[in-house]
Amino acid sequence: MAVGVRQRWERATMLAPGLLALAGVTLFPGIYLLYMSVMGWTAFSPVVRFAGVDNFRTLLRSASFWEAAGTTLLFVTLSTGLSLLLGLALALALNEDLRGRGAMRTLLTLPLIVPPVVAGFGWKFLLSSDVGVIGAFLLPLAGIRVAPMGDPQLAMASVVLADIWSKTSFMFLITLAGLQAIPPFLYEAARIDGAGFWAQLRLITLPLLKGVLIIAVILRVLDAINTFDVIFVMTQGGPGTATATFSILGWKIGFTYFDLGQAAALAVLMMVGAVFATNVLIRRTRLAG
Amino acid sequence: MASEKPEARETERVQRATAEAGNSKVTRRTFLKVSAGAAGALALSGVPRIAFAQRRKSVRIIAFAQGFAWPELFGSKGTEKTDALRGLEKEVGADIAIEWGDESAVRQKVLADLISRTGRYDVILLGSDGAVQTYGFGGLLEPLDRWMTRIPSPYVSLKDVYPKYLDANRIEGVLYGLPYYSFGPGVMYRRDIFRKYGLTPPRTTDQFESILKTLKENFKKEKIDMFPVTMRGAPGEEPSLDLLGFVYAYAGYAAWFEGGPTTAEAIRRKKAKPIFTGDFRKGFTAFVETLKNYGSPAASTHTWVDMLTLWEQGKAAVMIPSAINAYPARLGSKIEAVRKESRLASSPVGPSGKRIQSFWTFSLGLNRFSKKKEEAWHVLAYLTGKKAMEEFSSRTKFPWVTMKSVLYTKPLIDTWGREELAVWEDAIVQSDPYYFPYFPELNEFMDKIGTAASRAIAGAKVADVLNDLQTWGYERMYRGGYYR
Repeated sequence: MAVGVRQRWERATMLAPGLLALAGVTLFPGIYLLYMSVMGWTAFSPVVRFAGVDNFRTLLRSASFWEAAGTTLLFVTLSTGLSLLLGLALALALNEDLRGRGAMRTLLTLPLIVPPVVAGFGWKFLLSSDVGVIGAFLLPLAGIRVAPMGDPQLAMASVVLADIWSKTSFMFLITLAGLQAIPPFLYEAARIDGAGFWAQLRLITLPLLKGVLIIAVILRVLDAINTFDVIFVMTQGGPGTATATFSILGWKIGFTYFDLGQAAALAVLMMVGAVFATNVLIRRTRLAG
Repeated sequence: MASEKPEARETERVQRATAEAGNSKVTRRTFLKVSAGAAGALALSGVPRIAFAQRRKSVRIIAFAQGFAWPELFGSKGTEKTDALRGLEKEVGADIAIEWGDESAVRQKVLADLISRTGRYDVILLGSDGAVQTYGFGGLLEPLDRWMTRIPSPYVSLKDVYPKYLDANRIEGVLYGLPYYSFGPGVMYRRDIFRKYGLTPPRTTDQFESILKTLKENFKKEKIDMFPVTMRGAPGEEPSLDLLGFVYAYAGYAAWFEGGPTTAEAIRRKKAKPIFTGDFRKGFTAFVETLKNYGSPAASTHTWVDMLTLWEQGKAAVMIPSAINAYPARLGSKIEAVRKESRLASSPVGPSGKRIQSFWTFSLGLNRFSKKKEEAWHVLAYLTGKKAMEEFSSRTKFPWVTMKSVLYTKPLIDTWGREELAVWEDAIVQSDPYYFPYFPELNEFMDKIGTAASRAIAGAKVADVLNDLQTWGYERMYRGGYYR
């Protein structure tokens, strides 16, 4: 018994540095964020004071919070939905025995290694109505004279397009891996029974791919909620606040308004929102499954 | 003994070996003893003392414009240790290290350092468009007047610096920043195009509008791919510098709050309410309408980079009021007309009789929590001093210098001519750095105003935008305790 206690103590001692490091990089920032969110902490006041729920109250009462909530929801829905559909379509196409399949797969995964900030700059200059290949030359050649970044709706479409370009590879890879795990004999049996492409998709592919798709969607939703770089370099949240998501708003509150307490409160709300969205997705899947 | 079974002997051997092995293990006690002994021996040897004694003080600077700012000290890559830097280190008696980043990242690092009061950076990047005001009010910056008196620096003399550039860095009379490169308002125009259509630089805002109209009609008629004007309208604080210049010219004062107070104390004392739907409106509308009617369709997301790009590519005929953004293009454009025919004129006068403003200083300040203030002060004085300014002007040829004695020197006269330098100087002398109020929440207001303009340029109704701004402004000032 005494040996058991000693062994346990030794194990705990051995694990302690690792656990402490883990707590340091995960728990501590979380707890510190919570602490900051209840403090009145601005750069223009020498005093850091306890503010209770003031930061949350101010935030929830502000028009910019609700505007950003709507923009975030729109961005997340469009970006996740479209990258999922596109990723699935590409994975279905490249799961077939096509010529040049390997090269195409490689090409499709390339955007994954381009940093989003670079992708954002690239798309900004492509779509620019002043100097961009698409915005200033191709669109006017087709008789379309628009400023994609200067119009609120088109600006949202532009950042969604850039984000889809950047993130579809991820959805494609996950979906392709899922497709390859489906036993081919199921399709052979279905074909013998006379099932066409749509029937196979509906009755075999999608049900067996559901688990993979849910994981992909969860990861993509979390990523889309936190998207900052692409939007920042392309539109800085504009024109006006047309593309100002929570990430952009949080950055502004923290680093432009110098209100760290309120920025932390927004981060806490974002975290709660992300956890809630993930839980809903998981629960719905379980219920459906 | 012979009678003992081999199995028993083997067991005994294993037990003995195990016991020996156990004895040879480094126990916790032994480990602690050895460690303590080693630490004691090291302490007694004096090695740490020597190490600490040899550690020199180090002054840390944080700034942007790597390779462009102070290459004489830090080399063209911004990371070299030049002879000039070694000389300065010797003079100051401390190592000097600089950290670079893009403007946004640097501002964030400065904020993080100041707000956590760590004093990591000793000499910090500021700016007269919010940082000086916010940090000055927050007590996070070292007042510089006392250093000027206590330890006068051979590098900088305040008498030589244009007073307006210093005023822009004062909060209620206290100096918190020293300017490096800076600018006032102006109109950059294409002389060849103006000549072609019989135009002269605008003296009033009415003339300005009439010129833009003429240019637009002629560009359309002759199918010229040019915009009459370029200004910045991106969301955020950046366009506010120019937009507020329009507000000032149309209203005749910094029309933010009732009665036009420009200090936090005055706003508080008068309990002055925002007037974004009042006198502010005319200038705001003029700015928005100018961009909507005569600027690029993408102007609602344009920053100074876009202004510069349009000018460089010869796609704009007028740049106003931050004409400074045309200078790099004037020297580096591939289009000859841009290089040879760009000219500077004074900013036009608005209906109030005041000029359209645009004023900014790239300033540096001292961190209140620096542990090497004296050494840092010397470095700050050098970086913003006459020698640094002379090196800046002879290298870049830009007239953005802060001292009269440097403005009229050979490199700048040869490049721009005395006449243009006089226009540039006049813009500084005639400027009013307080064309917007100096109060702690300035940055937040600048951001909201700039974002509101961006929204209006992109198509929202000016009345709606200003109503929202008014509601927000009142609520923000109330929350800030100004009306209690």
